[in-house]
Amino acid sequence: MSQTENRIEKRFAELQAEGKKAFITYMTAGLPDMETTKALIRAQEEAGTDIIEVGVPFSDPTADGPVIQDASYRSICNGTNLKKIFQAIEEIRVDCGIPIVFMMYYNTIMYYGIEAFAAKCAQVGIDGLIVPDLPKEEQDELQEALDQTENAPILIQLVSPVSGDRIPMILENARGFVYCVSSMGVTGQAADFHKNVRAYLENVKKISKIPVMMGFGIRTSADVEQLKDIIDGCIVGSHFIQLMEQHQYDLEVAKNYIRTFKKELNEA
Amino acid sequence: MMKNKKYGEYGGQYVAESLMNTLKELETAYGEAIADPKFIEEYQYYLKEYVGRETPLYYAAKLSEKYGTKIYLKREDLNHTGAHKINNVIGQILLAKRMGKKKVIAETGAGQHGVATATGAALFGMECTVYMGEEDMERQALNVFRMEMLGAKVECVKTGSRTLKDATNEAIRTWAKTAEDTFYIIGSAVGPHPYPEMVKEFQRVISVEAKKQILEKEGRLPDCVIACVGGGSNSIGMFAEFIEEKDVELIGVEAAGFGIETGKHASAFAVGKPGVLHGMRSYLLQDEDGNVQIASSISAGLDYPGVGPEHAYLHDTGRATYVPITDDEAMEALLELCKVEGIIPAIESAHALAYAFKKAKTMTKDQIMIVNLSGRGDKDVHTIADYFKDRGYN
Repeated sequence: MSQTENRIEKRFAELQAEGKKAFITYMTAGLPDMETTKALIRAQEEAGTDIIEVGVPFSDPTADGPVIQDASYRSICNGTNLKKIFQAIEEIRVDCGIPIVFMMYYNTIMYYGIEAFAAKCAQVGIDGLIVPDLPKEEQDELQEALDQTENAPILIQLVSPVSGDRIPMILENARGFVYCVSSMGVTGQAADFHKNVRAYLENVKKISKIPVMMGFGIRTSADVEQLKDIIDGCIVGSHFIQLMEQHQYDLEVAKNYIRTFKKELNEA
Repeated sequence: MMKNKKYGEYGGQYVAESLMNTLKELETAYGEAIADPKFIEEYQYYLKEYVGRETPLYYAAKLSEKYGTKIYLKREDLNHTGAHKINNVIGQILLAKRMGKKKVIAETGAGQHGVATATGAALFGMECTVYMGEEDMERQALNVFRMEMLGAKVECVKTGSRTLKDATNEAIRTWAKTAEDTFYIIGSAVGPHPYPEMVKEFQRVISVEAKKQILEKEGRLPDCVIACVGGGSNSIGMFAEFIEEKDVELIGVEAAGFGIETGKHASAFAVGKPGVLHGMRSYLLQDEDGNVQIASSISAGLDYPGVGPEHAYLHDTGRATYVPITDDEAMEALLELCKVEGIIPAIESAHALAYAFKKAKTMTKDQIMIVNLSGRGDKDVHTIADYFKDRGYN
């Protein structure tokens, strides 16, 4: 299928040319409401976030810890659903060019209809998908739909500290970036990285032809200071949500946090 | 029938990447164990000497006379710990031991699987944590006491609907964190491959015995077998040996709660459509946004929005039929078994009975049905007493 350049790949190419590391944030859509979600995406773009992960809430988020579980639950109670999120993204895409990745569970995609979902993502401008309950072995049907859709999002591959000999297989046709889960278990376990995290990241970096991003449990740039020489950037999720909750979604707090993190991440 | 870890399009391994090697290790270990005569011998030893198998296939003469067909009850309620759940726990815990794991975790709805796991953990000296929804802990308080007496830690799950679905989520999360030294004992025929297959094999004993017993008693196979279905462990165990016997009708009974039309039920086949939950693809109760819907049933053990993947396959291929039974119908059948045969069944099993009584009316006096009496009602006495408080027992 013909493609215009994917925003994620374009962003990483720019970062590489500048010799900079990438910073990705995660936010659950619809908290406290969809208007704030849109404003927060714009604020983050302005502050220099490289890619935004937008969480599509699901009732049974088994890969997530308490913070994102709670955020998902509240967002669903607010009436957030995939259709409304598509609509919000479509609205901001008029003048907002930041790469956007959906973080969502497979049931939400299946329920929407896999082909319709791929087409809608392409239409509104979703650049990537992170589906934590869809390991490589189960991806064929979604990947096929994406392959047949023009400007479809990239299915981002996740690897874990215990993926071991699976890593080459997972990364074989991977695009965008590789999402390295830093610890065992769920999101938001406060920098409790796997005991062999350094060797693990080095191994992924050695095998991967695309940028290597680290996520799960990261709060400040200090958490990744010792690993900065290996990774191409990092992802902050639960902590960012907590920060926003504590400060009533104050956009200035978000911008300051992002600017500080990015600056420190790129300091020698 | 199994292909690529799936039953038709159902089953699979929809789990986080961090669990994939754990599942692979489990598949290998299970495959070796099930082919090892020593393992089978040990499993059978504990089933006989500890669980108290084989369980009787009881000819319910009075019910048979009343309903005009031959009704046999497979007495899984007579197992140690009071239900079929122990069959599977013994199998999985022996496998955990063989794999060198020191800790086990489990989810539980009615508490029968939790009690069985706590029992197995005590027997084999393992540390045990059971995840149970807050609402179920209230409904099945007796089983919480039992688990604690047996030395297990009962972790109260307060997220979501605070029932089995959420207890399972929490067990999966804990497992993803601790899989290096912890074995997750799943109690129903659900979860990622190889769990549904493993649970079926460890529950197969129900139909192995029932088939042998009915041939001894009647010299022929039954016309139908009936079992209740939540996730579907007792039913898949009861179906297993009869799936290839095409003349035997297989009937699974789902909980219809307050009635399918009220939306307050647990019948995945009645209105559900295929989805993904708890590592598997199968029929699932979902709302209009694709979120998993909260199931509702008077029976905590059937209060599950999904169903095991092999049942989904048996449903689609037409090999098995799945029917709904409401709370009221189940409770009426429960009381009837108490009064007519002197057996207090679990509310789960009463669903199978309620449909059996309906079905019996369409059968002749020479026809034979086997109903799986999956558990006893001791755990339910509070719920039963509450239900009949204003209605009376007559």
